[in-house]
Amino acid sequence: MPELTLVVADPAGLHARPAARFVQAASKFESRIVIRNGDREADAKSLIALLGLVIRPSSEITLSAVGPDADLALSTLSAELSPYVSQVG
Amino acid sequence: MGLVLISHSGSVVDGLRDMVNQVAGDDVAVGIAGGTEDGRLGTSAPRIEAALRSVLDDAADGVVVLFDLGSAALSLELALESLEPSDRDRVVVSEAPLVEGAILAAVQASIGATVADVAAAAAGAATMPKLPRD
Repeated sequence: MPELTLVVADPAGLHARPAARFVQAASKFESRIVIRNGDREADAKSLIALLGLVIRPSSEITLSAVGPDADLALSTLSAELSPYVSQVG
Repeated sequence: MGLVLISHSGSVVDGLRDMVNQVAGDDVAVGIAGGTEDGRLGTSAPRIEAALRSVLDDAADGVVVLFDLGSAALSLELALESLEPSDRDRVVVSEAPLVEGAILAAVQASIGATVADVAAAAAGAATMPKLPRD
């Protein structure tokens, strides 16, 4: 299962606009995509779930994807988030 | 798929429409009805009806309506009664909090969801955590 760890660099955390763009981008993929923040996780295709994580600045988040387009999903979504995060691995 | 946003204040729904467009994009039709016909705080069944009709014209699959409180519900009922049954059947009224519900509904609509999915997304606004847990 491809996985990617990112650190939220934006001082406002992952706020509503980037979160909405992210959900819109994630919804184009068939794979199940999960964003994890500490011990909580959210379906990346659900804005409620994602905003409900209330991701703080400097938090580490992990993106993972399972499905036929998992690799493409992760590369596309990390590009989508790139203005707001730095990549760890 | 469209949204109609109703408030006692025209400024509230003007601003909310801006927020919705900025967060969800311009692809979701958003109608607003805020304040009375003479510009006071309140709600107006004719203004709500006009907003519903304009969005129903644009949004073939249906409309989710969100409102703020109190008499907005009664004005909305009157407005719905004046629609043709075939139009009324395409309207889902949400009890979600107006601001949060509108944003969640619009993003759900922007990813091509059904009216039922959009209404469900709006409903989630009532219980969505807003403060960080730690």
